[in-house]
Amino acid sequence: MNTTCSPSTCTPATSGVTESLRKPLYNINGNAEAYEIRVELPGVPKSNVKLDLEENILTVRGERSTTVPEGMKALHRELSPLSYLLRLRLNAPVSEDQMTAKLEDGVLTVRLPLKEVAKPRQIPVL
Amino acid sequence: MKIIRTNPFSLNRVSDFDEWFRHPLAGLPSLSTLINNLGEVFPGVAGDKLAVDVHEDKDNYFASFEVPGVKKEDVKIELNNGMLTVAAEKREKDGEKESSYSLTRSVSVPEGVNAEAIAAKLEDGILTVTLPKQERTKPRTIALS
Repeated sequence: MNTTCSPSTCTPATSGVTESLRKPLYNINGNAEAYEIRVELPGVPKSNVKLDLEENILTVRGERSTTVPEGMKALHRELSPLSYLLRLRLNAPVSEDQMTAKLEDGVLTVRLPLKEVAKPRQIPVL
Repeated sequence: MKIIRTNPFSLNRVSDFDEWFRHPLAGLPSLSTLINNLGEVFPGVAGDKLAVDVHEDKDNYFASFEVPGVKKEDVKIELNNGMLTVAAEKREKDGEKESSYSLTRSVSVPEGVNAEAIAAKLEDGILTVTLPKQERTKPRTIALS
Protein backbone atom coordinates (compact mmCIF):
# COMPACT_ATOMS: atom_id res chain seq x y z
CA MET A 1 0.00 0.00 0.00
CA ASN A 2 1.21 3.40 -0.86
CA THR A 3 0.33 6.86 0.30
CA THR A 4 1.14 9.77 -1.88
CA CYS A 5 2.37 12.97 -0.42
CA SER A 6 2.93 15.58 -3.05
CA PRO A 7 4.88 18.70 -2.15
CA SER A 8 1.73 20.79 -2.24
CA THR A 9 0.06 18.67 0.42
CA CYS A 10 3.05 18.34 2.69
CA THR A 11 4.01 21.93 3.17
CA PRO A 12 2.32 24.19 5.69
CA ALA A 13 -0.63 26.13 4.41
CA THR A 14 0.34 29.71 3.77
CA SER A 15 -3.06 31.34 3.76
CA GLY A 16 -1.96 34.40 5.67
CA VAL A 17 -0.64 32.29 8.51
CA THR A 18 2.76 33.37 9.67
CA GLU A 19 3.38 30.73 12.33
CA SER A 20 6.27 28.38 11.67
CA LEU A 21 5.54 24.71 11.50
CA ARG A 22 7.52 21.61 10.76
CA LYS A 23 6.69 18.20 9.43
CA PRO A 24 6.85 15.48 12.07
CA LEU A 25 8.45 12.10 11.53
CA TYR A 26 5.86 9.52 10.59
CA ASN A 27 5.43 6.10 9.13
CA ILE A 28 2.55 4.32 7.51
CA ASN A 29 1.62 0.69 7.60
CA GLY A 30 -1.26 -0.83 5.83
CA ASN A 31 -2.98 -4.08 5.15
CA ALA A 32 -6.20 -5.10 3.41
CA GLU A 33 -8.27 -3.72 6.27
CA ALA A 34 -6.78 -0.40 7.30
CA TYR A 35 -4.02 2.14 7.22
CA GLU A 36 -2.10 2.73 10.39
CA ILE A 37 -0.21 5.98 10.63
CA ARG A 38 2.23 6.69 13.45
CA VAL A 39 3.27 10.29 13.91
CA GLU A 40 5.95 11.38 16.37
CA LEU A 41 4.75 14.40 18.31
CA PRO A 42 7.07 14.77 21.31
CA GLY A 43 6.11 17.60 23.61
CA VAL A 44 2.51 17.73 22.44
CA PRO A 45 -0.17 17.05 25.05
CA LYS A 46 -3.39 15.31 24.01
CA SER A 47 -5.40 18.51 24.17
CA ASN A 48 -3.10 20.12 21.58
CA VAL A 49 -3.56 17.52 18.85
CA LYS A 50 -5.99 18.29 16.04
CA LEU A 51 -6.86 15.60 13.58
CA ASP A 52 -8.96 16.21 10.55
CA LEU A 53 -9.96 14.27 7.47
CA GLU A 54 -11.43 16.26 4.65
CA GLU A 55 -11.93 14.99 1.15
CA ASN A 56 -9.05 12.54 1.11
CA ILE A 57 -6.56 14.67 2.97
CA LEU A 58 -5.63 13.80 6.51
CA THR A 59 -4.29 16.71 8.52
CA VAL A 60 -2.49 16.29 11.82
CA ARG A 61 -1.62 19.36 13.82
CA GLY A 62 0.25 19.26 17.08
CA GLU A 63 1.05 22.28 19.12
CA ARG A 64 3.99 21.94 21.44
CA SER A 65 3.29 23.03 24.95
CA THR A 66 5.56 25.84 25.99
CA THR A 67 7.88 23.99 28.29
CA VAL A 68 9.78 26.95 29.63
CA PRO A 69 8.03 28.50 32.59
CA GLU A 70 8.82 32.04 33.57
CA GLY A 71 12.03 32.63 35.44
CA MET A 72 13.79 29.83 33.61
CA LYS A 73 16.85 30.52 31.56
CA ALA A 74 17.84 28.49 28.51
CA LEU A 75 21.47 27.38 28.71
CA HIS A 76 21.56 25.10 25.72
CA ARG A 77 18.98 24.41 23.03
CA GLU A 78 18.77 21.61 20.53
CA LEU A 79 15.06 20.80 20.54
CA SER A 80 12.92 22.78 18.16
CA PRO A 81 10.05 24.65 19.77
CA LEU A 82 8.10 24.63 16.49
CA SER A 83 4.70 22.98 16.29
CA TYR A 84 3.92 20.16 13.89
CA LEU A 85 1.84 19.93 10.75
CA LEU A 86 1.43 16.84 8.62
CA ARG A 87 -0.86 16.58 5.63
CA LEU A 88 -1.27 13.32 3.81
CA ARG A 89 -3.28 12.62 0.70
CA LEU A 90 -4.89 9.22 1.00
CA ASN A 91 -5.18 7.17 -2.14
CA ALA A 92 -8.03 4.93 -0.99
CA PRO A 93 -11.44 5.69 0.51
CA VAL A 94 -11.53 5.24 4.29
CA SER A 95 -14.44 4.96 6.71
CA GLU A 96 -14.27 8.29 8.47
CA ASP A 97 -16.70 7.31 11.20
CA GLN A 98 -14.53 4.35 12.17
CA MET A 99 -11.31 6.30 12.30
CA THR A 100 -9.56 6.00 15.67
CA ALA A 101 -6.60 7.80 17.14
CA LYS A 102 -4.59 7.58 20.32
CA LEU A 103 -1.69 9.52 21.71
CA GLU A 104 0.81 7.61 23.78
CA ASP A 105 4.31 8.63 24.88
CA GLY A 106 4.40 11.40 22.32
CA VAL A 107 3.36 9.19 19.41
CA LEU A 108 0.01 9.58 17.70
CA THR A 109 -1.38 6.42 16.15
CA VAL A 110 -4.20 6.89 13.66
CA ARG A 111 -6.11 3.92 12.35
CA LEU A 112 -8.05 4.46 9.17
CA PRO A 113 -10.21 1.49 8.21
CA LEU A 114 -10.69 1.13 4.48
CA LYS A 115 -14.15 1.27 2.97
CA GLU A 116 -15.53 -1.97 1.66
CA VAL A 117 -15.05 -0.86 -1.94
CA ALA A 118 -11.32 -0.42 -1.36
CA LYS A 119 -10.73 -3.84 0.14
CA PRO A 120 -9.35 -6.59 -2.05
CA ARG A 121 -11.89 -9.11 -3.14
CA GLN A 122 -11.59 -12.72 -4.09
CA ILE A 123 -13.44 -13.49 -7.25
CA PRO A 124 -14.34 -17.13 -7.55
CA VAL A 125 -13.79 -18.78 -10.89
CA LEU A 126 -16.88 -20.59 -11.94
CA MET B 1 31.30 8.48 43.64
CA LYS B 2 33.92 10.63 42.04
CA ILE B 3 32.80 14.04 40.95
CA ILE B 4 34.76 15.92 38.34
CA ARG B 5 34.92 19.51 39.42
CA THR B 6 33.79 21.73 36.63
CA ASN B 7 32.54 25.09 37.66
CA PRO B 8 30.12 26.58 35.18
CA PHE B 9 30.66 30.03 36.64
CA SER B 10 34.42 30.10 36.40
CA LEU B 11 34.64 29.86 32.60
CA ASN B 12 36.64 32.51 30.89
CA ARG B 13 33.79 33.76 28.79
CA VAL B 14 35.00 35.11 25.52
CA SER B 15 31.61 35.56 23.90
CA ASP B 16 28.02 34.52 24.28
CA PHE B 17 28.62 31.82 21.77
CA ASP B 18 31.38 30.37 23.87
CA GLU B 19 29.22 30.49 26.92
CA TRP B 20 26.49 28.62 25.13
CA PHE B 21 28.88 26.14 23.64
CA ARG B 22 30.90 25.42 26.71
CA HIS B 23 28.22 25.05 29.29
CA PRO B 24 29.05 21.86 31.17
CA LEU B 25 25.55 20.44 30.80
CA ALA B 26 25.73 20.85 27.07
CA GLY B 27 28.37 18.19 26.82
CA LEU B 28 31.64 18.58 25.05
CA PRO B 29 31.50 18.24 21.27
CA SER B 30 34.60 16.11 21.25
CA LEU B 31 33.06 13.78 23.77
CA SER B 32 29.85 13.32 21.82
CA THR B 33 31.92 12.62 18.73
CA LEU B 34 33.81 10.03 20.70
CA ILE B 35 30.60 8.43 21.88
CA ASN B 36 29.20 8.34 18.37
CA ASN B 37 32.42 6.87 17.03
CA LEU B 38 32.42 4.24 19.71
CA GLY B 39 29.02 3.21 18.46
CA GLU B 40 30.47 2.68 15.01
CA VAL B 41 33.38 0.64 16.25
CA PHE B 42 31.44 -1.39 18.79
CA PRO B 43 27.85 -1.65 17.66
CA GLY B 44 25.57 -1.66 20.63
CA VAL B 45 27.88 0.43 22.79
CA ALA B 46 26.22 3.67 21.89
CA GLY B 47 23.50 4.57 19.50
CA ASP B 48 22.18 7.73 17.98
CA LYS B 49 22.59 10.88 19.95
CA LEU B 50 19.54 12.25 21.73
CA ALA B 51 18.87 15.94 21.38
CA VAL B 52 18.85 17.88 24.63
CA ASP B 53 17.69 21.22 25.96
CA VAL B 54 19.11 22.59 29.19
CA HIS B 55 17.40 25.20 31.30
CA GLU B 56 17.96 26.53 34.77
CA ASP B 57 16.05 28.45 37.34
CA LYS B 58 17.31 29.53 40.72
CA ASP B 59 16.86 26.09 42.31
CA ASN B 60 17.40 23.55 39.53
CA TYR B 61 18.95 22.63 36.23
CA PHE B 62 16.57 20.88 33.83
CA ALA B 63 17.75 18.64 31.00
CA SER B 64 15.01 17.71 28.51
CA PHE B 65 15.38 14.90 25.98
CA GLU B 66 13.04 14.09 23.11
CA VAL B 67 12.10 10.41 23.29
CA PRO B 68 8.82 9.85 21.42
CA GLY B 69 7.50 6.31 21.58
CA VAL B 70 9.82 5.27 24.39
CA LYS B 71 8.28 3.58 27.43
CA LYS B 72 9.24 4.46 30.97
CA GLU B 73 10.76 1.03 31.54
CA ASP B 74 13.01 1.44 28.50
CA VAL B 75 14.76 4.53 29.83
CA LYS B 76 17.98 4.26 31.80
CA ILE B 77 19.52 7.22 33.54
CA GLU B 78 22.94 6.94 35.10
CA LEU B 79 25.18 9.33 36.96
CA ASN B 80 28.79 8.35 36.89
CA ASN B 81 31.92 10.43 37.36
CA GLY B 82 29.99 13.64 37.01
CA MET B 83 28.44 12.51 33.72
CA LEU B 84 24.72 12.07 33.38
CA THR B 85 23.95 9.46 30.74
CA VAL B 86 20.50 8.83 29.34
CA ALA B 87 19.88 5.70 27.29
CA ALA B 88 16.51 5.12 25.68
CA GLU B 89 15.52 1.93 23.92
CA LYS B 90 13.00 2.55 21.21
CA ARG B 91 10.86 -0.38 20.11
CA GLU B 92 8.92 -0.15 16.91
CA LYS B 93 6.36 -2.47 15.49
CA ASP B 94 6.27 -2.55 11.75
CA GLY B 95 3.41 -4.88 10.99
CA GLU B 96 4.57 -8.23 12.29
CA LYS B 97 8.21 -7.31 12.68
CA GLU B 98 9.47 -5.65 15.80
CA SER B 99 12.66 -3.69 15.78
CA SER B 100 14.45 -1.70 18.42
CA TYR B 101 17.29 0.73 18.55
CA SER B 102 18.92 2.72 21.26
CA LEU B 103 19.45 6.43 21.67
CA THR B 104 21.97 7.81 24.13
CA ARG B 105 23.32 11.10 25.33
CA SER B 106 25.78 12.08 27.98
CA VAL B 107 26.07 15.51 29.50
CA SER B 108 28.46 16.57 32.21
CA VAL B 109 26.85 17.72 35.42
CA PRO B 110 28.09 21.03 36.80
CA GLU B 111 29.48 21.36 40.26
CA GLY B 112 26.99 22.10 42.97
CA VAL B 113 24.30 19.66 41.93
CA ASN B 114 22.76 17.58 44.66
CA ALA B 115 23.30 14.16 43.08
CA GLU B 116 21.07 12.40 45.58
CA ALA B 117 18.07 14.50 44.64
CA ILE B 118 18.18 14.13 40.84
CA ALA B 119 14.72 13.22 39.58
CA ALA B 120 13.24 12.39 36.19
CA LYS B 121 9.83 12.25 34.60
CA LEU B 122 8.54 11.16 31.24
CA GLU B 123 5.63 13.03 29.73
CA ASP B 124 4.32 13.27 26.16
CA GLY B 125 7.53 11.82 24.79
CA ILE B 126 9.78 14.28 26.64
CA LEU B 127 12.09 13.08 29.38
CA THR B 128 12.91 15.80 31.86
CA VAL B 129 15.73 15.28 34.34
CA THR B 130 15.71 17.72 37.22
CA LEU B 131 19.08 18.40 38.84
CA PRO B 132 18.61 20.39 42.03
CA LYS B 133 21.31 22.87 42.95
CA GLN B 134 22.80 22.59 46.37
CA GLU B 135 21.97 25.33 48.81
CA ARG B 136 25.35 27.01 48.56
CA THR B 137 25.21 27.46 44.79
CA LYS B 138 21.91 29.30 44.89
CA PRO B 139 22.25 33.04 44.58
CA ARG B 140 22.10 34.67 47.95
CA THR B 141 21.30 38.19 48.93
CA ILE B 142 23.67 39.53 51.50
CA ALA B 143 22.31 42.31 53.61
CA LEU B 144 24.56 45.25 54.33
CA SER B 145 24.85 46.00 57.95
